[in-house]
Amino acid sequence: MTSTPQKTVPGVVTEAGDVPRPGRGRPARRRDHTVPPWLFVVPALVVYAVVVLYPSLAGVMYAFTDWSGIGGFSFTGTDNFRALLDDSRALESVTNTLLLTIAVVVVQNGIGLLLALGVHTNIKSRAVLRLIFFAPAVVSPVMVAILWKYVYNPENGAGLNGLLGAVGLGGLRQDWLGNPSLALWSVAAMVVWQYAGYSMVVFLAGLQGVPAELHEAARIDGAGSWQRFRYVTWPLLAPALTINLMLSTIGGLKLFDQVYAATNGGPGTSSETLSTVLYKEAFVYGKFGYSTAVALVLALFVAAVSLVQLRYLRAREVTA
Amino acid sequence: MTTGSRFRPARSTVGRRGFLRIGGGVAALAALPPTLTACSDSGGGSGKLRVVGVADQQKPIEELVGLYRKSHPDDTFATSFAPTDQVQTVLRTQLAGGNAPDVHVLYPGSGSAMSMVELAKAGLLADLSDQAWTKQVPANFHPAYRREGKTYLYSAGSSAIGAIYNKKAFAEAGVEPPRTWSELLDVCAKLKAKGIIPIALGAQTPWVTQLITYALVPNAVYAKNPGFDAEMASGKAHFRGSGWADAMGKYQELQHRGFFNENPNGTTYEQQTSMVAGGKAAMAVQVSAVLAAFRQATRTPDDLGMFPFPGGDDPAKLWIPAGIVVGLGVSARSRKSAGAKAFIDFLGKQENVDRWAQSVAAIPFKRNASTRIDPVLSGFLPIIDDNRAVPFMDQSWPNAEVQPAHFAAVQNLLAGKTDVDGALGQMDEAYGKKS
Repeated sequence: MTSTPQKTVPGVVTEAGDVPRPGRGRPARRRDHTVPPWLFVVPALVVYAVVVLYPSLAGVMYAFTDWSGIGGFSFTGTDNFRALLDDSRALESVTNTLLLTIAVVVVQNGIGLLLALGVHTNIKSRAVLRLIFFAPAVVSPVMVAILWKYVYNPENGAGLNGLLGAVGLGGLRQDWLGNPSLALWSVAAMVVWQYAGYSMVVFLAGLQGVPAELHEAARIDGAGSWQRFRYVTWPLLAPALTINLMLSTIGGLKLFDQVYAATNGGPGTSSETLSTVLYKEAFVYGKFGYSTAVALVLALFVAAVSLVQLRYLRAREVTA
Repeated sequence: MTTGSRFRPARSTVGRRGFLRIGGGVAALAALPPTLTACSDSGGGSGKLRVVGVADQQKPIEELVGLYRKSHPDDTFATSFAPTDQVQTVLRTQLAGGNAPDVHVLYPGSGSAMSMVELAKAGLLADLSDQAWTKQVPANFHPAYRREGKTYLYSAGSSAIGAIYNKKAFAEAGVEPPRTWSELLDVCAKLKAKGIIPIALGAQTPWVTQLITYALVPNAVYAKNPGFDAEMASGKAHFRGSGWADAMGKYQELQHRGFFNENPNGTTYEQQTSMVAGGKAAMAVQVSAVLAAFRQATRTPDDLGMFPFPGGDDPAKLWIPAGIVVGLGVSARSRKSAGAKAFIDFLGKQENVDRWAQSVAAIPFKRNASTRIDPVLSGFLPIIDDNRAVPFMDQSWPNAEVQPAHFAAVQNLLAGKTDVDGALGQMDEAYGKKS
């Protein structure tokens, strides 16, 4: 934990609580009635509307057709949605998607928090460690999947199995991606490895915003490390937790790249997710109408989960 | 200690927290699935003839484009190649957007969303029937090249499925390529006793899963009933209860006898290739088109051979699978259709059919005295010439879902999650869906 933030900021704290920026040599001016420069946002909004919103909304129409992706189509009403309810593969993929999301959200954020607490100390190598932990997050998900396919090589002397054998844990060797009972969890581990550092960065931002005065006050009151974390740090990490849970939940629900590149939904259909199903329906089976219906359901599902989650998490946020 | 105290933090802290708050809201909107978004590519407007193929076609196409340009120096080409999945995704989007390349990859027959039948049905392919080479396509190949009497596909010929084997591994175990199913089991047992994996299987790569069934089905099904496809189409026959059950049973028998590598569902095609090329495994059931990849994986390519995978017990009546290799079609909306068709006509000349076929270890659909066929395929020619070769089964399936259902069924079978009856039931269900 760092010392008080004011120590690092030269100058005087003003009545309004403003801290002059270092090196400027004069107090920062603040206009009380500044109009937010919303016009700057317009170009980005226009691009977003044209590139994302319009095609997405226009695409909704195809969910009610039998379009094959090429040629003409006819409207089929709600046939695609009714077919979805009878599609055992799609329903299995919903279960897989939820299990994968829960695993990723819990483990990724748990590890991310521990990493953040670890590198938020005064250890000398913290900058290097932050870089190392965050590095996988900037690698392409497909590259990560290809890399992990080597790690998950089922041969006894290779990859993770080789490592387990070398440390005397040969009995734990597995066919990580080839066993239908394990494949989904192997993919989850891969995703956690890649994005735990990302969660760490968000938690770190939250940790750096916790005022040291509160910790000092708690320490004076006799609070131990765990109590300071539980009653000071944890409540004030709520905004960071909100973002991490939101991002990891949304990312988990629409996970595609890693699953597609690592298992292609297999063995059998044991690691199919909603995203791989809708991709295959469109580009492998040529059922764009049905695929769009799946995509629409997924989009609505993600939006609903995210909004409920956001509402709940915001309600428990506190400010220092 | 309470959490409700209103401590006034430094402004920098407020800014960071505000950022986090805003970020939470933005994340909900920005991270919605992008899958509803259509995409397209203008593809450029140069005067070049655009050719898009799969990676396997790169070598023959680049060689033949080079030759074509010698006689047509004013014609220029823009070629691009990518793995099958990527090409299918991009090409389908381009076809839907009306900006497909002039010449593009095309899959024979039906059974794929990018097959000749599906695209011809949608009116997206130019008719090539007036070209001379189309008259020389043998009648038994017509379903792969033609729809309603018109030829839409150019393909150099057929590729056989058999066992690519490592001669040194066979010699080490003192065995010869088997000619019957019983001999195969015997050979595998001897290889296994020598510590050599008899058959490498990379079933994590979906398309590899189908090859052993395809190698066994011709004997189990078509040798007894050549009209099986028609019976399937009319609903008289089903996978379940047909010779497919015998073929799947034999597939399972090979696994139960321990003739595959450990964990085939976790093993990739690349690992399978490496096992055979390196001699760790003795053979792999594969399509002849990948011979080049196996040869590249070893310093001694002459150590690799190929033999027809015996599904029955009478060597004189052995049936094999030989499917038309992936080819090319001309876009019906091409603005350079004359140039595109001229290029296809050039590809249809005997010497160029031979060049393409040789490049992908295929057997040309037409042959003359100058035709040279990869020597390792010599064992397949008498069977093909005796009309005991059947097209790859998926090329006549009615929709694109049966083949992936077959992949999944085999993976489930290998994992012990289903039995032969259940696996074939999955395929029957997919077969019954409309395209």
